[in-house]
Amino acid sequence: MDYAAQTALFLIAQFPKLFAGFLITLGIAAAAIPLALVLGLLLLAPRMSRNRIARGGAIGYVDLMRNTPLLVQIYLIYFGLPVLGFYPSEFTCGVVGIALQHGAFLVETYRAGIESISDRQWDAAKAIGMGRFKAFRVAILPQALVRILGPLGNQLIVLVKDTSLVSAIGVAELTMTGKVIIERSAASVEIFVAVALFYLVLTTILGALFRVAEYRMAERLG
Amino acid sequence: MRILVGNLPYLLQGALVTLLLSIAVVVLGTLLGVALGIAATTRSRLARVLVAAYVFVLRGIPVLVVMFVGYYAFPAAGLRVSAYVAVGLAQIVYVAAFVAEIARSAILSVPEGQIAAARSLGMRRRAILRQVILPQATRIAVPPLLNSALTAVKQTSYASVVGVWELTYAAREIVERTLAAFQIFLGVMAIYFLICYPLSLAARWSERRFAFVH
Repeated sequence: MDYAAQTALFLIAQFPKLFAGFLITLGIAAAAIPLALVLGLLLLAPRMSRNRIARGGAIGYVDLMRNTPLLVQIYLIYFGLPVLGFYPSEFTCGVVGIALQHGAFLVETYRAGIESISDRQWDAAKAIGMGRFKAFRVAILPQALVRILGPLGNQLIVLVKDTSLVSAIGVAELTMTGKVIIERSAASVEIFVAVALFYLVLTTILGALFRVAEYRMAERLG
Repeated sequence: MRILVGNLPYLLQGALVTLLLSIAVVVLGTLLGVALGIAATTRSRLARVLVAAYVFVLRGIPVLVVMFVGYYAFPAAGLRVSAYVAVGLAQIVYVAAFVAEIARSAILSVPEGQIAAARSLGMRRRAILRQVILPQATRIAVPPLLNSALTAVKQTSYASVVGVWELTYAAREIVERTLAAFQIFLGVMAIYFLICYPLSLAARWSERRFAFVH
């Protein structure tokens, strides 16, 4: 049998294992995305507050997360919590690390979207008798959401790719599965090309979903 | 604190490797990416399609997976190179995909009218690119390029997962020996912060400085 046929057969034989890893990757992303989205929202109020201490705290958190590698943050959680007497699973450590980092990026995404709406929109809403909260809900938020969707989609694609880092603390997700297969067989680079294809399909679908959502929403606003 | 202080020289050695790796990746990745970005704005359809495919594929997969591909590709091809070269090249290729997109969109954001005006003055294509398009595109591209450099520096830590010795790898070695996770990893985060924060500030400054050029 020639090399190409052999490789194809080998990859087909490994498909169930890779797919199992892919499902765990999906699980990490599915757990981390809502947490990060909510953390970003929780940080939004202090980040945009007029109170200097609240704002300073939020900016400090964002700067710390933005300027240190996610991998080191995951290590700090994974190796640090047992020192304090907590023993969460590797999966949990990975999910929490990813959510803490991406929540910091998302608050900036939300803020940029909201601040991109002109002050005149606030003034107009106030002029027709709306309070601050109603103006935000009815006038600012729908317009901001359209502008946030694009960058939000990009950020979530980065999050999905970052789930590969959880392999560093031993979770058998897609990247780890590729590594294990290589260590147990004579295969090498082909496996990681297959792993890359799985990620590419996932991120492409996610990107397409966000583009459709953005288009639909922009259309509805007119 | 005693464990952190005692291991600081070892960590600083790792930081030096991280710094050198970062400089190589950022400089070479940016150069390759700008070249690809310029190629994507030429009239050659083949160049446009190839760069678009390159950007699409690499942006869709994790840098860690690209590092593994780089790590295993050289031995598979029968070549012996050090892990630093293999993983470094993988990162350069990865960073270049993001830079190519930044460069391409910066070039395309220069208004068509300016190119028409330059042509009507009798300027040649090369002169138009060098004297009209690139100076303006550079202003637009600087803030995102600095952000991409910041990401690239943080990503060098992922090389430790593939087995490349640098700051994060050194930190893990020490923690596995001493179990002083908080001291060491917080110390290492402080070192990364010192390297990354100036880049962050530069990116923020350039965003303000270069905003609303038109």
